[in-house]
Amino acid sequence: MNTVLSRANSLFAFSLSVMAALTFGCFITTAFKDRRVPVDIHVSKVMLKNVDDFTGPRERSDLGFITFDLSADLQPIFDWNVKQLFLYLSAEYATKSNSLNQVVLWDKIVLRGENTKLNLRDMKSKYFFFDDGNGLRANKNITLTLSWNVVPNAGVLPLVAGSGHVSLPFPDTYETTKSY
Amino acid sequence: MGLSQNDVSFLRPEVKLLRFVTVRTKVCQIDLTSSGKMLDIFKSIPTHMDYKGQKLAEQIFQGIILISAVIGFVYGLIIEQFGWTVYIVLAGFAISCVLTLPPWPMYRKNPLSWQPVLPETSGESSQKPQESLKKKKHK
Repeated sequence: MNTVLSRANSLFAFSLSVMAALTFGCFITTAFKDRRVPVDIHVSKVMLKNVDDFTGPRERSDLGFITFDLSADLQPIFDWNVKQLFLYLSAEYATKSNSLNQVVLWDKIVLRGENTKLNLRDMKSKYFFFDDGNGLRANKNITLTLSWNVVPNAGVLPLVAGSGHVSLPFPDTYETTKSY
Repeated sequence: MGLSQNDVSFLRPEVKLLRFVTVRTKVCQIDLTSSGKMLDIFKSIPTHMDYKGQKLAEQIFQGIILISAVIGFVYGLIIEQFGWTVYIVLAGFAISCVLTLPPWPMYRKNPLSWQPVLPETSGESSQKPQESLKKKKHK
């Protein structure tokens, strides 16, 4: 501590240790918080097609087109340890060939400071809803769920499912639009 | 046991050499008045503090940073923005830099009392037998 450099070294190292402790404190205050909020999903239109799928081994696969409405209030999730939310809408169903299929249809990033009240109407899916085969036609039960990934400033990234989901049957024939 | 008894065996080698520092600074002062260059001024700015001053400086900066950390944590928790916590700790760091890095006079209130400089020839011959006597006594 006799020279300026040694005092500066000691001061800087102490500041960094204190900063690390504060970051841990920030993590601890929000680590056990419940990050679920109620979500309202409503599907207005479903259409099914049978098209060539070059990514799979077979010739033709089922392709679904969904138009949906989404409303949720995400404000309670944001606190001082949340940097952004990664939302995604996924469809889950079972077919004869696969017992569990999960496909992501749409996603969105919500930064802190942006509008947190989601009220989306007549949204089209962002990604193709391809099935591994022909299992979407006349499928009795396809469940759509909105989940999100909480990206924090410090700590773990929890994956949380919203508390609302909607199940719907798909049409029996191709190229016909089914409205709900 | 103190410095006035001419016993420096307990000090670190580099501190032992500081006995000659008074001679060095006098030479530097003469240089400044004659040449007056900027680099000489920077090199000859004394940055030392005495031991009690160093302890005081360490207590001051630890206290300032801890206080600013507590204030920043509480403020960030209240307004729900961690960025403000970081800004307040950085402000505390800047204040401690200003208060403890330069050698203010308050850190030099307890200077070490060095022995007056003896002339080389008679001083060294009289110091050596005394140092060896002291070493035998300590053993």
